Amino acid sequence: MTDVTLSPGKAVAAVKRPTGASIGPRWTNALFIAPYMVFYLALLVYPLFKGIWMSMLESDMFDDTSKFTGLANYYRLFNDKIFIGTIWNTIFFVLMTVPVFVAIGLLLALALNRSDRTSASLRAIFFGTSVLSVTIVTIIWKMMYMPGNGAIASVMRLFGLEPIAFITTASLALPAIAVTTIWWIIGLPMMLFLAALQQIPGELYEAAALDNASRWRSFWSITLPSIRRTMLVVVIYEIVAQFQLFGQAQLLTQGGPNNASRPIVLFIYEQGFRSWNLGYAAAASEVLFLIMAVAALAQFFASRKRVEG
Amino acid sequence: MRKLTTALLAGLVVTAGASAAMAADKTEISVARFFGACEADYGSVTDVTKANGECGIITALINKFNAESTTTVVKPEIVEWPGYDQLTARIRSGEPPVISVMHEAVISDYSSRGLLEPLDEDFAKAGVDVNDMTDAARQGVTKDGKIYAMPFDTHTWLWHINMNLFKEAGLVDEAGKPILPKNTDELFAQAEQFKEKTGKPYFISTLANETAFYTRTFDTLLYQQNVDFFADPTKVNFSSPEAKGALQLLSDIFTKDLTTKNQDYAASVSSFAAGEGGVFICGTWLIDTYDQESKKDGPLANGYAVTAFPQIYAGSPRVWADGHSWVLLKQDLTDAQRASAVEFMKFLWDNNFEWARTGHLPVRKSIIDSAEFKGLPHRGDIASLAVNGTALPSAVKRQFSIQEIEGEEVGSAMRGDKSVDEALTDAETRINELLANAK
Repeated sequence: MTDVTLSPGKAVAAVKRPTGASIGPRWTNALFIAPYMVFYLALLVYPLFKGIWMSMLESDMFDDTSKFTGLANYYRLFNDKIFIGTIWNTIFFVLMTVPVFVAIGLLLALALNRSDRTSASLRAIFFGTSVLSVTIVTIIWKMMYMPGNGAIASVMRLFGLEPIAFITTASLALPAIAVTTIWWIIGLPMMLFLAALQQIPGELYEAAALDNASRWRSFWSITLPSIRRTMLVVVIYEIVAQFQLFGQAQLLTQGGPNNASRPIVLFIYEQGFRSWNLGYAAAASEVLFLIMAVAALAQFFASRKRVEG
Repeated sequence: MRKLTTALLAGLVVTAGASAAMAADKTEISVARFFGACEADYGSVTDVTKANGECGIITALINKFNAESTTTVVKPEIVEWPGYDQLTARIRSGEPPVISVMHEAVISDYSSRGLLEPLDEDFAKAGVDVNDMTDAARQGVTKDGKIYAMPFDTHTWLWHINMNLFKEAGLVDEAGKPILPKNTDELFAQAEQFKEKTGKPYFISTLANETAFYTRTFDTLLYQQNVDFFADPTKVNFSSPEAKGALQLLSDIFTKDLTTKNQDYAASVSSFAAGEGGVFICGTWLIDTYDQESKKDGPLANGYAVTAFPQIYAGSPRVWADGHSWVLLKQDLTDAQRASAVEFMKFLWDNNFEWARTGHLPVRKSIIDSAEFKGLPHRGDIASLAVNGTALPSAVKRQFSIQEIEGEEVGSAMRGDKSVDEALTDAETRINELLANAK
């Protein structure tokens, strides 16, 4: 038998065994990842570069005579009051929702991290909303928000208060969409935190109890450090997901009133499918991609620094 | 007994087999439409005279066609109004429906890109007399000299009135007709009087989640003042004192609490039926629905009237208008599919009177002039709309997108989110930017 020592950082040549089998790098090994790579290149890398190329064209949905215009679409975008408004709306929405997803998701996970029947039922209920489609969710919340005969209005009238027009008031429309979104998909961060909490060895808490550590101290010194990586995953996932706000805004407010709740993706959709300006829509998509990448990477590096520090 | 059961079963199998074979012989065509879904009420109705409202009548018409046609089966595909985003996506992905309903304002965007089939020859072969089309309908479906759609109706903007509340407010004359404003001062005076006497707002308006009310009302107020805001079809002009005055009027109606404020379309439609306001500014398509409502017990009982948009500004009686039509999408159709599509369009043409029962104006001169049509409820009150309905010039591109933008900006000013001047400037800038980049 031939002994093979793998030393890090060195290229390893294929070594032939006496039996005829060999270990080490062989180009045929790439076949194992070939199916994945084909889909990855076709469905992700190609559209990414195609999108970048399209963003530099004056391109119409049904016109095959696209014209190269360089950065003209980007110049137009950053002079478009509506687009600039959608950037701020989207960032504001992410700032409203992501911290809440982390805080409430963790609180729910801590509260329901038990093995009794009530906790199991509540876990199912909280996660249950996540399986609803955006259409159902917005219908439910429309019935909640409508100031005429909506559920919230009825409760307010019961207490002699004037109903609030959540989705038709410029300052309240986006927060109303944020509440809807949090209600809809709070189940996922809760489940991720629950999975992380269940990985923490019970001995750590027993040792802390023997040292008379308070619950807060245990949480701060054992729980939080143990779930830090999950928290990073939740934050990055939610940043990426919430930057893509679309369905709730389109169905609840259509971006109004006065563009107060129009997110970037709705703008892209309107430019692409309603105005048929594919080049302009592609440019807006690239800007969104850049913002999302910067936000997710910033969070990633900040958290990594803390973990390493 | 056993023999009888066997015979019955055999009979059933043969009948089912024969029906399946007959259905299989028919050519299936897909027809995309909005107008809502009401299968629960009209799913099996083939007698169109028993159907009411847009949804009921179109459902019954398709049922009737499927029952009568020996060659064609129509498969309806119901889309959310207005459905153009979906249609665009389907065309782009190479799977359009065979026929789709389309507003006449939108046809040129699709026809100019070669996405629709011209229908002149098909109509001639099928015996559709295009000279019987009303001027508005024919102009609406004719682009660059070719007919691209079967017109279905002309619809306009008007006032639905709750006469019971008008009586309570003292706004009914001796002849039993509603007293309507003839200028802006009268409008505010009557609206205040109405509010004081009934405790309800004068107007019910669809101000939430939709821009149609804002655009159509604003356009009508501009038409009334003879403003030609699309004198140049590549540029809109809202920088006139008339435009400012019209938008200020809408804003004042809102700030003086003379209208409901936060209702979407569904809420405002039911709100009028529930007697929560005096005037509902909306379209022709609700006439039949409210007329039926007035025959039942309730807030509208024996108290529904409809009138053309009153002349608030001295000038022209023109009013916003558009039309529904049916287009044949360009794709690889077999001769049988094309023949079936034209057969269905001809059927709709032949049954245009039934559709006109909704409240929409018919597209055939012979129907407009018929005693049968004139005998429908309230048609005498809105006869002027057939002449005064005004669409945007057909050379204006992207009309639906333009109307969306206009509605958003008019809505922002009316609701007080923006000043009137700012909204008009923004509407003009955004629309002109859109048109400058529209092919």
